[in-house]
Amino acid sequence: MTIEIKDVSKSFDGQKVLDNFNLNIESEHSYILTGPSGCGKTTLLRLILGLEEPDNGTVKLLGDYKYPFINSGVVFQEDRLCEDYDAVTNVTMISKKVFRQTVIEELKKLLPEEALFKPVKELSGGQRRRVAIVRACAIPSDVLIMDEPFTGLDDKSREAAIAYIRNKQGTGPLVITTHDTKGLEFGRLIDLGTKT
Amino acid sequence: MPKSIRRIIAAAAWIVIWQLAAFIVHNRILLAGPADTVIALAGLVQTGSFWGSVWQTSARILLGFVLGSVLGIVLAYFAKHEIWLEDFLRPLVSALKSIPVASFVILLLIWFGSRNISIVICSMVVFPILYLNTLEGLKSTDVKLLEMAKVYRMPGTRLLRYIYLPQLKPFFKSAFKLAIGMSFKSGIAAEVIGQPLGTIGNGLYLSKIYLETAELFAWTIVVVLVSFICEKLISLLFDMI
Repeated sequence: MTIEIKDVSKSFDGQKVLDNFNLNIESEHSYILTGPSGCGKTTLLRLILGLEEPDNGTVKLLGDYKYPFINSGVVFQEDRLCEDYDAVTNVTMISKKVFRQTVIEELKKLLPEEALFKPVKELSGGQRRRVAIVRACAIPSDVLIMDEPFTGLDDKSREAAIAYIRNKQGTGPLVITTHDTKGLEFGRLIDLGTKT
Repeated sequence: MPKSIRRIIAAAAWIVIWQLAAFIVHNRILLAGPADTVIALAGLVQTGSFWGSVWQTSARILLGFVLGSVLGIVLAYFAKHEIWLEDFLRPLVSALKSIPVASFVILLLIWFGSRNISIVICSMVVFPILYLNTLEGLKSTDVKLLEMAKVYRMPGTRLLRYIYLPQLKPFFKSAFKLAIGMSFKSGIAAEVIGQPLGTIGNGLYLSKIYLETAELFAWTIVVVLVSFICEKLISLLFDMI
């Protein structure tokens, strides 16, 4: 499976954030998008997810594809968790194919056990981020898309989260945006500041 | 002093003021006192028709309440997704909110007869309350969570349970509490005008005709009590969810 991004341009309020951008995102590869704030990292992820339409150019899904839309595991720039529910429920709610016991085991890999059953509004920023990461990896997906997934994580938690994500990547591509590329050398670095 | 004690003292003070006013007026037709009202209520409770009237009125009002609520919630859901429907319903909702119940009752008496008038009136009073509150609640639902649900293709039932309902709960709670009180007020007003036999409205009307002010107050207390119980049950239900 390949996501072909061809000659894509996107502007907001007359401000061009992507200008004739090209990239092929291929299975089993990892892409680390970096660059200064406002350079279009989040916009690019939203274009891939079909949450934004490009002003020009195309985002196409090529190859053998199971779904009419991209089947993705996503960590958004914000956590986007349901505040009154605990971490386990926030993960299990996304699909009936996600089983509670499995989710508990997965969350335990990144979070202390006492954090699993508290409403997520009571968790720290880093803990909430890890819940979002586990949710993104909870169901098999064709692509993992993560927008600044390590925000608020200390070095040890970040390392554990990177290992967890890599373990869950499967055969699909992984796309991560970040300001800090430490520990992400396994992926192809794309600096959107220079607009490839 | 605990809040509940303060409230009881305040209520007791008003009963004393009421009794004093009755003493001063000294005319049971103009103003029956609390003691006369309690005696009249005790007399009413012992009659066979009392419980029948309470049941007939409450059942019709609650049926109207449910019908108006369902209609309001369902139409709000569709109006949220179809702007033309929201525009189309806006004048109707404004009219239902502002036209006095009495104006409707006379027309509806011709269309539906007096028997079911409180059902229709309650539906018409409840509908705009539930419609507007549900629409506002749906519009204030976090779009970022909805986007997350779209990306994960969350099934509709889960979307409703985990995203819509928690956001709608405060809107529903205030709307239902307001609507139940309004239902009893408007439903009984409709019964007083339409006078269907064996209802609280009919009892109130007869009290007025025979200048039985104590009985009028007794029926009023019954209405307030039933409405209060329904409102508390709604609060309890929402606290349990």
